[in-house]
Amino acid sequence: MISQDIDVAVIGGGPAGLAAAIKVKEVGLDKVVIIERGEYLGGLLDQCIHNGFGLFYFNEDLTGPEYGQRFIEKANDLGVESLLKTMVVRLLPDRKIAISNDKGFTYLSPKAIILAMGCRERSRESLSIPGTRPAGIFTAGTAQRYVNIEGYIPGREVVVLGSGDVGMIMARRLTLEGVKVKAIVEVLPYVGGLIRNEVQCLHDFDIPILLQHTVTEIRGQERVEAVTIAKVDKDWNPIAGTERMIQCDTLLVSAGLIPENELSRMAGIALDPVTQGPVVDENMQSSAAGIFAAGNVVHVNDLVDNVSWEGEAAGASAAKFALGKAMVKKVRIRLKAGENIRYIVPQTIARGEEIVLSVRVKEPAEHVRLNVGELRSQGMRAVKPSEMVKVSLSSKEWEKMGSGVDELLVTCESRRG
Amino acid sequence: MAEQTIICIGCPLGCHVTLKVDKDGEIEALTGNQCKEGREYVIAEFRAPVRVFTATVLTEAGGRLLAVRTDKPVHKGQLKELMAVVAKLRMAPPVKAGQVLVPNILGTGADLVASSSI
Repeated sequence: MISQDIDVAVIGGGPAGLAAAIKVKEVGLDKVVIIERGEYLGGLLDQCIHNGFGLFYFNEDLTGPEYGQRFIEKANDLGVESLLKTMVVRLLPDRKIAISNDKGFTYLSPKAIILAMGCRERSRESLSIPGTRPAGIFTAGTAQRYVNIEGYIPGREVVVLGSGDVGMIMARRLTLEGVKVKAIVEVLPYVGGLIRNEVQCLHDFDIPILLQHTVTEIRGQERVEAVTIAKVDKDWNPIAGTERMIQCDTLLVSAGLIPENELSRMAGIALDPVTQGPVVDENMQSSAAGIFAAGNVVHVNDLVDNVSWEGEAAGASAAKFALGKAMVKKVRIRLKAGENIRYIVPQTIARGEEIVLSVRVKEPAEHVRLNVGELRSQGMRAVKPSEMVKVSLSSKEWEKMGSGVDELLVTCESRRG
Repeated sequence: MAEQTIICIGCPLGCHVTLKVDKDGEIEALTGNQCKEGREYVIAEFRAPVRVFTATVLTEAGGRLLAVRTDKPVHKGQLKELMAVVAKLRMAPPVKAGQVLVPNILGTGADLVASSSI
């Protein structure tokens, strides 16, 4: 059985957890353990066989398995312990974890904890699509696992609902495997994922995308036989008379990701209603002392490179906490989302410190000015919800801010008109 | 003279850049880009639209598939032909990530390599 003398426990062995655990080891702490419910480390990277990973972190164009392997090897070299096929069934605010695996059930009391549980896909059920409940409806990520790991093709004629990155990547993947992707249906007036995926997955393979459309009905008894699609108005309501049927045997749902925070809720950790992840400070510390969080459990990222960096930040902070070093308390500043801003992570920061903010905008806009209170005002050619804006504040910039201020308003306003 | 539109992928703006191409395939005019990098990307994409090819290969042992990639980008028009070759491959374990499976696949100048291990 695992030793009870643990410095840092990391919940989740995906890219955030791996980077965090590596960092803890690098800082010099001895006992770091990753608790992973799956059979192997690396999380979803193994099924993301396409390239485009690591362009920023490694300055190389890697596939998902290649990117993951680099971190897994490093973790192994450094002696990071991992408990595979192990489920965390309970998390308490005083940093107690209950785990369950084939050896039984036990409590661990690490000095610090890092939440790295990632996110899960929104399913057909969470979209409430009317119709029958036949076989042939998958989330894009499940289909990706079938096609890239297990070796099953989910169907022959496919409609994809939602133009998130996984949906577009699967549309290309299935087309290469000889499947007919009849359409991608997107409720928004713009493509949901990265522009490089729109070009390299859809345009390269002539896959049609129908913007401002949705699936209004799923048909078929045993197996999907067709879906009905319709145009939507600006409030996403189907417009009567625009319905048409598309014959298909499979519907893939690629309609967004939700941070997986059952454990955080159990521990009473404060969650941000917008990100649906823990509220964190500049140390990636949650509202519970000594419990840190990183990656898609905090907010859904578009690039794994950013997840790794966040993991490292959480790892460095958790190591500091486990060593008993006080987290320096300075004047707290709350970041507030203003015009065209959906969220900012971290939600609170310490005055005077260098920090990288992850800013997600609400709507696509061109020729804008991104403002962080008085501290920063930068012109940007374009912003899009699918592409995170990173803002690095230097310690020098804080000098521009008057004393007594405890809030920074972040806005993204038009430079024209 | 032919016209062609290429969408720049350099930033979220996604400029639709229109190229006027003469009968010898030379670019005569290029409009719609908003920056120098965009212009360079579009010219490169026009001359050689290349992509890294990725797929999976069945293994003789059954079970988990082997992820594969080309070690450098190939012309995007060849992706489907490459898939036809890769669909017929069967690899016997052990295979280590980085191992060359098909050198100079279809004469593209790129090697097909394993991107995971089995």
